[in-house]
This record gives sequence, C-alpha cells and structure tokens, in this order.
Amino acid sequence: MTRYIIRRILQAIPLLFIISVLLFVLMINTGDPLSTMGGRRVTRPEDRERLSRQLGLDQPIYKQYLFWLIGNDWTKVDLDGDGTAETQGTRKGILRGDFGTSMVQRGKEVTDIILDRLPNTLLLMIPTEIIVIALSLAVGVYSALRQYSATDHIITGLSFIGYSMPIFFIALVSMYIFGVNFKAWGLPYLPTVGMFDPKVGKTTGQVIQHMILPIFSLTVITAAGYSRFVRSQMLEVISEDYIRTARAKGLPNRMVITGHALKNAALPLVTIVGLDVPLLLGGAVVTESIFAWPGMGRLFIDHLSRSDTPVVMGILMMISVAVILSQLITDIIYAWLDPRIRYS
Amino acid sequence: MKIKLWLTLMTILIVFSMVMTSCSPAATPEPAAEQPSAEQPMEEPAAETPMEEAMEPKVVTFAWTQEPDSLHPFYTNMWFSATLQQLYLCWAWEYDDQNIAYPNLVEEIPSVENGGISDDGLTITLTLRDDIVWSDGTPLTSADFKFTYDMLMDDANSVNSKYPYDALTSVEAPDERTVVMNFPEPFAAWEANFWRGILPKHILQPVYDAEGSMMGADWNMNPTVGCGPYVLDEWESGSYMRFTKNENYWKGIAKIDDVFLQFVPDDAAQTAALLAGDADLGTFIPASDVPTFQDAGLTVFTVDSGYAEGWFINFREMASPAIRDVEVRQAIAMALDRQAISDDLLLGLTHPIETLWDPIAGGAYVSPDIVPWEYNPEAAKTKLENAGYVDSDGDGIREDLDGNPLVLVHGTTIREIRQDIQAVAQQQLREIGIDLAIESQDSDIFFGGYADGAPPAIGEQDIMEWSDSTYFPDPDTDYWLCDQLPSEENPYGYNYYGCDEALDALFQAQLVETDPAARQAIFHEITKYMHDNVLWYGIYSDPDLWVVNSNLTGVKFSGVTPFYNIWEWDFAN
Repeated sequence: MTRYIIRRILQAIPLLFIISVLLFVLMINTGDPLSTMGGRRVTRPEDRERLSRQLGLDQPIYKQYLFWLIGNDWTKVDLDGDGTAETQGTRKGILRGDFGTSMVQRGKEVTDIILDRLPNTLLLMIPTEIIVIALSLAVGVYSALRQYSATDHIITGLSFIGYSMPIFFIALVSMYIFGVNFKAWGLPYLPTVGMFDPKVGKTTGQVIQHMILPIFSLTVITAAGYSRFVRSQMLEVISEDYIRTARAKGLPNRMVITGHALKNAALPLVTIVGLDVPLLLGGAVVTESIFAWPGMGRLFIDHLSRSDTPVVMGILMMISVAVILSQLITDIIYAWLDPRIRYS
Repeated sequence: MKIKLWLTLMTILIVFSMVMTSCSPAATPEPAAEQPSAEQPMEEPAAETPMEEAMEPKVVTFAWTQEPDSLHPFYTNMWFSATLQQLYLCWAWEYDDQNIAYPNLVEEIPSVENGGISDDGLTITLTLRDDIVWSDGTPLTSADFKFTYDMLMDDANSVNSKYPYDALTSVEAPDERTVVMNFPEPFAAWEANFWRGILPKHILQPVYDAEGSMMGADWNMNPTVGCGPYVLDEWESGSYMRFTKNENYWKGIAKIDDVFLQFVPDDAAQTAALLAGDADLGTFIPASDVPTFQDAGLTVFTVDSGYAEGWFINFREMASPAIRDVEVRQAIAMALDRQAISDDLLLGLTHPIETLWDPIAGGAYVSPDIVPWEYNPEAAKTKLENAGYVDSDGDGIREDLDGNPLVLVHGTTIREIRQDIQAVAQQQLREIGIDLAIESQDSDIFFGGYADGAPPAIGEQDIMEWSDSTYFPDPDTDYWLCDQLPSEENPYGYNYYGCDEALDALFQAQLVETDPAARQAIFHEITKYMHDNVLWYGIYSDPDLWVVNSNLTGVKFSGVTPFYNIWEWDFAN
C-alpha cells in the first residue's frame, strides 16, 4: 500500500505540471486585466503601457509562466520603461510557496485572499454535504423499500422537481418567501443576505440564521439527485441473494436493511462524496452570489471576470491538488473498507 | 463504518471552519458594553453600563453590488471604490448635488481672480485650511500633498493611473499650508481631476522607506487613518465593510454611528434586501425594479454623473465603407427611435441625448445650434438612396452600386440593457434596409487592447456601444485624438474611431485654453461638428440611480462625489 501511495503521489507531479500549463495558457487568453482598470472609463493608453510593463504582462507567455512557477528574483526587470532592466525581481514562484499577489487587489498576497474566504465556504458547504448525505440516504432507502407505493411516487415526483429546478430560482424564491414576504405578513422571517445583521454583530446565532436559506437551496438541488442514486442502489442490493439469506436466517428487517443492505448500497456513495471534496473547496458560485455569502465561488468569479491570473491560478491549483488527493484518499479508504480490493 | 468515517471527517472540518471563521475579527470588535448583541436583551446590560452606551448604534446599511478592490485611491478606478472616498478620505475640493465644486481642504478654489492661478496658467497655488487633521489627530499639511504627488510619479508604486499628475512638472510645499503646482503648459482640466484623495504621509512614508514601494502597505486595504467623516473599522473580504465615525472630523461629528456595506453581487438579491429592510441604500439598480421600490415606499434618486450611453462610430479605414459615409450615418441617426428606447426599456427614467457632453454642466458645453435627430425612417431611406444604396434584389437589404449588401457590425458588452438595445436597433435599421450584425463580449475582452485583438481596438466593429464620460465634471476627453489611434507601433492607443484632423485640432486647443468662455466656445464647435457628422450617436443619458430608505434624512447625492454630505445624514426615527 505504501508503495502504491508513493507511486500515486509521484504520478501527480507531472499531472499537476501539465494542468498548470494548460490552465495558465487558458487564463492568459481569457481577457486583459488592464482593460477594466480604468473603472467606468476605458484605461488610458499611457497607463496601460506602464502597467503592462510593471506587472510583467508585456512578457511572452512562457516567461510569465516561468516567473509564476519559479519566480523572478534571479533576474532583473524594467519598471521605468527606459529599456534597461535595472530592478531586481521579488517573486519567488509557487514552487517556493509564493503564489504571488493579486493584480486587482494590488499587493495583496494570493494565499491571504484565498484563506480569507476558505473557512466561509467550508462553513456553508460541509453542513450542506452532511445534510444532503443524511437526507439522501433516508429518502432513498425509504423510497426503495416502498417501491411503487404512493409515497414512492410522491418522493420521486418531488425529487424530479427539485433536480430540474435551477439553483438561482430556488434561492430567489426561498429568499422572497422566507425573507421578504414572511416579514411583510408579520411572520418570523429569515435574513436575506450576508452572514449577520450589522446591528447585532457576528454572533454564532446570527451566522446560523444566515446559513439557513443558502443551505436549504443547495440541499434541495443536491439531495434530489443523490436520493435517486441511493434508491436505485438500494433496489439493486435488496434483491441480492445474501439479503434473502439474511432474511431466511430470521434476522429482523431493520438489521437486514441497516446491517447488510445499506452498507453495500452506500458504498458507491463514498466515491461520489469523494468527488464532492473539490466542490466543497470551490464553493457554490450562484448560491454564494445570491445570498452574498463570502465564499470561494464568488472569489473565483470576481477575479476571473477581471482576468486576475495569480488569484485564479491559485484557486485552480488548490482545487487540482484537492482532486488528486481526494481521489487518492478515496482509493485508500476503499481498500481499507473492502478487503477484496488490492492496489499492489 | 464508511459513513461514520465521513461524518467524523466532516465534523472535524466544520469545527475547523467555525474556528477559522470566528478567528476573523468580530463585527463589533471593541466594546461589548457599547453595542450589545441581539442575543443579549436590553434589560440585561451590566449595571455599571451607562444607558446611552447600551443604546443600539445608528447603522446605515448599503447593499453594495461590487466589492472594492482596494481603498487606496490610486490603486483602484472602480466606481464602487472611488464612490466611497467621501466616507474616509478627503479631496481638496468636492462637489455638491448640483455638481458644483466647493472648497474642502483649501481656503478657496484657485482662480485667476483670487490669485490662485497665474496669468499664464502655468502655476496654481492652493492655500490649505488651518484646521484640517487626520483621524488620528495628525495635522493634514502641504507635505501630504507633496507626498501624494511623489508617490504617484514613482514607478516603484505601479499606481493605476498617473493622470493628471503627469501633466505637472513639479509640486512644491513652501510652507505647511501652501501647495504650488507647476505646469509646462496650461492645463484647463485641472479642477476636475487633481487632488482626488490625499495620502497620509505619516502612515505611508515609513512603509515606502522600508520596502521601496507603498504597494504592500497595510493602509491600502485597511485605511484606519483617514480624513473623511468616517474611518474604516473593518473589512471582511467578500462579506462587508464597516466604517465608524471619525471623532476628529473637522466639519463636525457624523450623526450616524456606522456605515455598513454589505456586498450583494446579485441584482435580484439586492432588490430583495432593500424590500425586506435589510439594506437602507442601493445603487445600480435595474430600471425595471424602480416602480417596485417606489411602491414599497423607498425613495429613488436620479443623479447625473456625466455618463452617456452611446454609439461610438468607427470611421477608420478598416471599417465598412458604408459607415464611413456621412449620409449613411445620418440615416442611422434618423432610423432609431431613441425616445421609445428610453420610455420602454428604461421606463422613462432617462432621456435621449445628442452629444457626450449633454450630462455635463447642464449642457453648457453643447452647441445651441444643434438640431436633435428626429425619428424619421422615411427621411432616413431618402438619405440612403442619395448615398447610392438601393435594394436591387428585393431581399429588404440595400446594396451599394457594386451589389455589396449594406451590412454593419454592432458590438457591445454583455450588459442586458445593451443587448436589448441591439435587438431594437437591428429591427429598426432593417426597416430602412440596413442589416445590423450584432455581437457582444465580456467587458475584459471587449475593452481589451489592440495587441489582445479586442474587436473595438482592431476595428472589427463599425458601431460600438457603451456608456462613457469625459474627464467629468470637466468636458475634456482624448478619445478622438489622432495620436491615440491604435496600431502595431502604438498598441495601447484608444482612439478606436478614427482621425479627423479638424476635430483633433479643436480638442488640442480646448485643453490649453484657460479662458472658460473661450473654452466653452471651442466645445460648441466640437459638439456641433460631432453631432452633425454623427461621429458619436447618443442613445440616452445614463444617470446613477440610488434607492434609499425613506426614513433617512438629509440625503443628497452629487454626481462627482456622491456621499459629499453623508456626515449630515440621519434617521428620522
């Protein structure tokens, strides 16, 4: 197993390198960060020329990538535009842990920008994931055990409705119902946007209140799909011979379901949850935007729309590493849980 | 077993994120005694807490759809950041709700009459007030002005724009209250553009000395020392900003305790927050929501900020021969029903305009001889026929004498209202036999440079639409200067429209004309020439829309310095 893990980690290095090259080339070609630096006016030519030089955007793409990767403190750069490179570079590059500084939040470290947002995203996404898993298992199992009953049909219908509704629709409708209309009707209401009420402050109670609507919206969409998955897995498992055997041995139904059927039916869910780990880090762009939740999804979109290469690359590389690691961990857990699986 | 493992893992992560989140500064950082939370009922404050301290602070909440990228005035040109400067910074002079300048840091605004401007226009002298201080009590002096200029001009600082400071030869500070600006030639646009935000030398000089640049200064994102009625208390990325009142503000202490900015990037969510009372102020609202706000009892302000939505006409050699024909351009000007666009798409909140200068100084720079383009499709058709464009094959689209169809390319950004206008224009121009091919791009692509191959820069589009302004409130613009034409040799040029020698001469002349009346006369010539030749075609005046809680009193907005009187705002109840 140790050899397997080492091999996978070694394989990840060239993979990450290739990913970084592809992402960097794509990012550089998605827009010009200087184009929006003039605010509502078009950026002045003199400023565009100067900033292009000072931010290193006038360099060929391979050189920009090289500086991003290994830094530029081994060479000199031309800041004043006199044609002579006289100022020592200061960047160390990501291989030495320097992700650089943002172009739009001038001078601010990319790692600081990401670390400001990551806890907020985890705070929103982890409870969502837990609720989604619990709800999907409960609904999926219940539905499978009562296949073709009226309850099963109702759950199936609701699942399809939830799955087919766009997240922005659910988010806005829930916001208007529970935030705007409930208040207008004199009922207890939920806050619409943000993480807390400024008049109260950032208390635990406030944060939890503000989490309800975004978590509800995310849960409706995700649980609808997962519950269908659990239902079909469960239906497959409960028709297996070993379930029939367990019942024939006289095991109580609850033991059969939880001890044998659910354990096996839920095994593929581990893979899906493993695939969700990057989503946990990447955040939920639409939900975070609508509910003004300061997470990674909004950070990514805000900086992508302004072609802020250092920040976008920082986020993408973090997610790439998370994908590789989560898949490795999922494989290891699989082998640990199922003794039949061997990677040697 | 597997589920347990995952649940354990996720529980650890939740605890981790809760810890990380609670590690970030609290919204009410200092004294719980002054601002009790809702979880602490009013009956429960400690006995020794004075009653007025236990009162809930007055907080005005803004729903802010874009988060500022920086609070350093020279590291951002974002409107959503620059607009906040009247909260925590101060300009030498600011502008009232009529967009008229009044002295702020200076005794009076320099003029030839008061001796502030030399007769040759090459020297401008400012005399500072003697009572101005930074929020930490340090006097604000001419040294801060000189420092601001020095920092802007130093390449190590990589500021967003050196305009207009690169028009100066030097700035001197002969004594604590005198600032002398020296120009190589007269610079007529000085009043509207200089001293928008002064930097605190006593805060930034040590950073510059230590690091050789102010780019990494903590003050840039955390300006807790300022000279406006408020100071930044905290800024949580992506979430909010809180400003608290500056107890050393020389004009008087602000009536509202805190200004809280909630970043709400989604328009619909902003509307919901305003309707639910979760926000007291919002801006850049969709016009279609205005009736909803008015029905809900919110006040809507329409403020001219110099912006005009219009069509920039490309008459460079790579443009379509048709658009380079003045009769075709005039036909287009008569074929679009701009009043209907204002009424139907913008609910009558604005109106059609004739020139880029209409929203400036009440139209004082617009020639009185201009005859507005009337919607008249029949006259437009006649113009096209006179220009030699007829529909020879009966497909509804006119052709030139060589049989080439009259197709024009119209480009804009992906903003919804612009795409609506494109659709209307396409339909109306088709009625007179012009095929308008429409396209739209993201702003960072559309406004890219010549080297990036941005469609406007390389001349791929015949007509380009966006909202723009002069160096407002000054009428100067350099968009149509011949030396700004982009090319391989001049890749950063931003004259995407064309070189007209006569127009270029007029623009050059107005910038060095220090006599206001003579300058106004030059602009009358410019506006008449551009209007009649349809070099820029106005669609509508693009004012800023503000929605405000009706419970707020004393609210006024300037188009230049929107929150110029925020220290006078208060809540009625």
